[in-house]
Amino acid sequence: MAGEPAISAFGDAAILVELEPLATAGEPAAGEAGAGRPTDPGVALLASTAAAQALASRIRSATEGLAGFGAAVPAASSVLVHLDPTGASGGVDGEIDDLRRVVEGFDVETAGWPPGGSTLEVPVRYGGADGPDLDVVAELTGLSRSAVVELHASIEYRVLFLGFAPGFGYLGPLPVGLVLPRRASPRVRVPAGSVAIAGQHTAIYPVESPGGWHLLGRTRVAMWDSRGSPPALLEPGMVVRFVPEGCS
Amino acid sequence: MSSAVEVVEAGLQTTVQDLGRPAFEHLGVPRSGAADPTALAVANLLVGNDMGAAALECTLLGPRLRAQRPLTVALAGADFGAVAQPGNRPMATLRPHRLAAGDTIEFTNSGSPELGCRTYVAIEGGIDVEPVLGSRSTSLVGAFGGFDGRALQAGDVLHVTEGLDIDGGSTAAQPSSRDRARGWPEAIRLPGPDDPIRVLPGPAAAGPDGVARLTAFLATRWSVTGEYDRRGLRLDAEEGVRPHPIAERPSQGMVPGAIQLAPSGQPLVLMPDAGTTGGYPVIAIVVRADLGILGQLSAGSPALFELIDPEAARAAAIARGRLLADGRRALVRT
Repeated sequence: MAGEPAISAFGDAAILVELEPLATAGEPAAGEAGAGRPTDPGVALLASTAAAQALASRIRSATEGLAGFGAAVPAASSVLVHLDPTGASGGVDGEIDDLRRVVEGFDVETAGWPPGGSTLEVPVRYGGADGPDLDVVAELTGLSRSAVVELHASIEYRVLFLGFAPGFGYLGPLPVGLVLPRRASPRVRVPAGSVAIAGQHTAIYPVESPGGWHLLGRTRVAMWDSRGSPPALLEPGMVVRFVPEGCS
Repeated sequence: MSSAVEVVEAGLQTTVQDLGRPAFEHLGVPRSGAADPTALAVANLLVGNDMGAAALECTLLGPRLRAQRPLTVALAGADFGAVAQPGNRPMATLRPHRLAAGDTIEFTNSGSPELGCRTYVAIEGGIDVEPVLGSRSTSLVGAFGGFDGRALQAGDVLHVTEGLDIDGGSTAAQPSSRDRARGWPEAIRLPGPDDPIRVLPGPAAAGPDGVARLTAFLATRWSVTGEYDRRGLRLDAEEGVRPHPIAERPSQGMVPGAIQLAPSGQPLVLMPDAGTTGGYPVIAIVVRADLGILGQLSAGSPALFELIDPEAARAAAIARGRLLADGRRALVRT
């Protein structure tokens, strides 16, 4: 039985609400399946991210319109609650007390992803200049290039949370055969639309940025439009499937 | 709205910034905003703007700007030795200056570890760009906001909100102009790049191992490496030992000022354009009152961290708010 989330100050401008650890959520290493644990860290990640989203929703509805609170940012197994940086009080104690009341009785085990609605299909050109790491990934996983593509496109992913860059969705969990650590040295420039994998996650780079993930391919679907409503195409809970457009 | 300033030379990285967009981190949108928010606020107050009006953030090498009509401007932050042309008229920081149509602002020196690396140019009325997601700041990471989502380039023309001086005539009609000729009160000391940077312990400082790690971090003389930008500052040890490397953690939300330890043990200080989530453990977090000091650090700057308790952090935040409020009061006093 899981306990209530732990609440602590994260500096003087944010509060971290951490879920009781659920197995090895977020750990990139596969094969840590121990007796009595979920056999796949990805399963734990699905559960902990769903719980973080549910907790963030609860925090948002309770703090909406309350002075002093900013965005609630759910991630792998926690919610970071930003405080208004112009807040005059300078302290976090009052907000910590508020959050304690909000999370009281939150049961991590009842939170789960809602049944998937429509599936977002994302066409991807795999390999070649679009996916310069496809060869390396094939080598590291011991699979053929086409098997990597097939595996990556074989399942539906959840958008687990957004972070890193505008509109960047952490999708997952990856099939166990594709779980790899990040590249040893990050690229200075990853083109927008790049489809990549690292750890338990796959993602689409919404804007050109530096990045340490393995690039498998590229899509033309725009993930981010700052003038759009909403500006991010992906939202947590959405189901995504990659559709190979070809492999060069 | 009318055109007000032409960018003749862009400088190294000149962007439109305000105090940032704090409400969209859950979409992966970094806060952005001035790397030295105190200097931005002070520059704005000196020309009678709201402290969060959009102004120019100039990094290391300043731009050359031409006034297209009479303007009141003020500079704050690092002193890059601004002069107005023609006539080589010195433009001291921390006081407002009148420019005539056709005058240019140039900078005679660049930023440095001693001076700081960012200077702010505020223009009376504030720079008029369309707010995107609630802010006029430039998101270089997202390529939106500010001026076309990018750093300024030669030939860009900036507009100013409220055409106060649109006819180029007398400023006597503006009741506050006379008072704005005042400079920032000397008695109100502003933070400088040499000031210690106050921190609170982060999650990676918890437990016996964590305490040892934090102690080692605080005992080390750090300096900023050549890898520094609006996303983050990498630090290297001048002397002392690096903290031991520790494992990554599940990704969690991050804030500017968080000091992460990379797998090698090298500290990485997050800046306003940093990713909104991250998985490196956080050893310490810079208090919000001191984020502006980080914004003045550049390659070779020593970074001296000082651990304080939450009570002292609260006092620091209140003191910073009071500093700006007192400054504003002194500037509008008749």
